[in-house]
Amino acid sequence: MSLQNILNNWDKYRKGHEAGGHHVYEHMWSMVIDLNKCIGCGACSVACYAENNLAVVGKDRFEKGQAMHWLRIERYWDEPNLKPTASDEFQQHGASFLPMMCQQCNAATCEPVCPVAATYHTPDGLNAQVYNRCIGSRYCSNNCPYRLRYFNFYSFYETSWPEPLNLQLNPDLSVRDKGVMEKCTFCVQRIRTAKDTARREGRKVRDGDVQTACQQSCPTTAIVFGDMLDPESRVTKLWKAHEVELGKTAQHKQHPEKRGYRIFEGLNTDPCVMYLERVREV
Amino acid sequence: MPVNRCTWTSRSLLDAFRGSIVTQIARVGKVLVTGIFVASTVIGANAAVADVPNANPPKGTHKGEDVPQPIEFPHDIHAKINEINCMYCHTYARRSKVAGIPPTSKCMGCHSVIATDRDRIKKLTEYWEKKEPPPWKKVHDMPDYVHFTHEKHLQRFVFNNEGMDVTRVSEVCAFCHGDVKEMTVAKKTKPLNMGFCRRCHEANNGPSDCWHCHK
Repeated sequence: MSLQNILNNWDKYRKGHEAGGHHVYEHMWSMVIDLNKCIGCGACSVACYAENNLAVVGKDRFEKGQAMHWLRIERYWDEPNLKPTASDEFQQHGASFLPMMCQQCNAATCEPVCPVAATYHTPDGLNAQVYNRCIGSRYCSNNCPYRLRYFNFYSFYETSWPEPLNLQLNPDLSVRDKGVMEKCTFCVQRIRTAKDTARREGRKVRDGDVQTACQQSCPTTAIVFGDMLDPESRVTKLWKAHEVELGKTAQHKQHPEKRGYRIFEGLNTDPCVMYLERVREV
Repeated sequence: MPVNRCTWTSRSLLDAFRGSIVTQIARVGKVLVTGIFVASTVIGANAAVADVPNANPPKGTHKGEDVPQPIEFPHDIHAKINEINCMYCHTYARRSKVAGIPPTSKCMGCHSVIATDRDRIKKLTEYWEKKEPPPWKKVHDMPDYVHFTHEKHLQRFVFNNEGMDVTRVSEVCAFCHGDVKEMTVAKKTKPLNMGFCRRCHEANNGPSDCWHCHK
């Protein structure tokens, strides 16, 4: 009984990663985003729309918060010295940007609340969403501290891709219908292809075999993607260089000036995305 | 103690799987009672299946609808009487996701010489001369949310399967496509639902992770 299992193991559930993890992981896909390099152009978001068959919902629904952008650029005006003049709606300088996608938490808050187990953790360290299993209870979305799960309130299938735009849909993943929750998958279709190719060629997946759509399109290469279980991968080296580790709720750094941090890690979500803090010249 | 997060997931999956078997058995039962004709096709389909180590075909049958094709392609003449290997025409099966329909040039490779006086070949030649492919219809269509690759399955059951010979590939195809040798126009005879897939995956230690097959 799934419910019984959840109730019995509830107190252990989100502490599992501290005691050595839930799985024998095959991969641990992870991302590093350098906010110093991010210029907020939004190319990653556009690439994500194209790659993952995301519906364009229109202005009205966007205002209601029903947009389907798996990767959104969050904009902050956090430079108090650069106050806008009275005539400006926004200040002219000092915006900083933060690309926000599913953090693929290893102790994800969305997973235990799904009543039908449509979201679960894969041996690849990914937070999976099985669309055809989802019944649209939206518990996961309400439980996500990052607000990164998006619900199909409408059947965008017919309206969002008028002909001939339907021909540009990516056949490697489904077009979701009304009543289904969806979110960033770390481009799992590309991971799948890379793994298949590696298997066919009789080798392991190499660092750089998988490029996510956002990473590929980033003009300043702010996004780095790779496997944390590969000691030679770029992400592993970056995480090490910035003294950030998985499975912790707080990082105790030898050098506090190192820029790496994870968002909301104090909530014990154990996210797999590390951000490198933005530093501005004074 | 580490908590196995997958425990309840796989259990509930198993429950769902069992449920589908029950419905499958019920469906098979119904089909068997319905008529001797259907029952004989069931036995016929099972007879084609390989006696190969580790090749346990999933059980279950399905009475598919007739899919009218532009040309009534006789699989029996090609595969049974002339013993042409499935992969001669469906050449993409061993290296890609889809098995593929051969280009008209492959048909014409033989049929510019062979059996040119038959009606069906005349029709084919018409298409060839118009430089239009015959609009073949898809018979085995998986839903959008399923990721299936022919290549992986052929590697596992044909090329990396001890005791299996490539000339007998049709027996492996028959796991999911039924005994195509006995058909003219291909028809869906296996249910190809999740329970059907899971049976084989369980018997052969196939992957059981949702995201292996669902996308």
